[in-house]
Amino acid sequence: MQITARRLENITIFDVTGDIDLANSPAVRKALLTELREKKIPRVIMNLQGVKYIDSSGIASLVEGLKASRDLQARFILFGLSKSAREVLQLSRLLKLFEIYENEEQALAGESA
Amino acid sequence: MARRQLLLRLQLHSNPEVLCGVRGAVAPIAGAIGFGEEDCRAITLALDEAITNVIRHAYGGKVGREIEIRFSKVNGVNADKPGLEILLTDRGAEPKPGALKGLPPGELRSGGLGLHFMRQSMDTVVHKRVGSTNRLRMVKFIR
Repeated sequence: MQITARRLENITIFDVTGDIDLANSPAVRKALLTELREKKIPRVIMNLQGVKYIDSSGIASLVEGLKASRDLQARFILFGLSKSAREVLQLSRLLKLFEIYENEEQALAGESA
Repeated sequence: MARRQLLLRLQLHSNPEVLCGVRGAVAPIAGAIGFGEEDCRAITLALDEAITNVIRHAYGGKVGREIEIRFSKVNGVNADKPGLEILLTDRGAEPKPGALKGLPPGELRSGGLGLHFMRQSMDTVVHKRVGSTNRLRMVKFIR
């Protein structure tokens, strides 16, 4: 798995490629929490177009990001969910708790909650 | 009684880096039995979660401990609807009482989903402690 960051003004976009499982979900968690809690970035977006597989440990990392964003009144956004990722989020009954868009343009333009 | 045909036996170590390899093995096997894409994804998820649980809980995160997985084609009640049986064996710690109940999904917590995913994905998920080994049996039949 690879995770790279792009920074635009007060927004960080993480581009993630590969599978998110027990082997690398800690790296996703660390990246998200660093950006939210330490750098206090007000809007963090995760590009998941390159993620074909995510398991419960990956979901847990996203949940940690979501919880941190809520604590800090920041926004945490996902876009580009694969069928598999959407199914797993649906199975966890957490799909509706996340702010999700189809593509980057929509994620950047998404209205504030 | 279901007839069992062993298709593949894997012996691996409790290292998270093996998960992608095992995922790559199970999906084609499930497809060859006749499962559709969605069910292949479900089976892959269940197996991944089961191995993750062994690594994290049975072996406490320790790397290098043995895990055996057997994949068998089984005939169900209807001979036209075969199934895939997965037997996962480890020599780790016995699950704590209540650990196998799982937690209800939908709440914003960062744990407890693995068992839920396994039970939602497979028709049968049964754990047994036999001597010093854990044996997890998961079965899914073609609908």
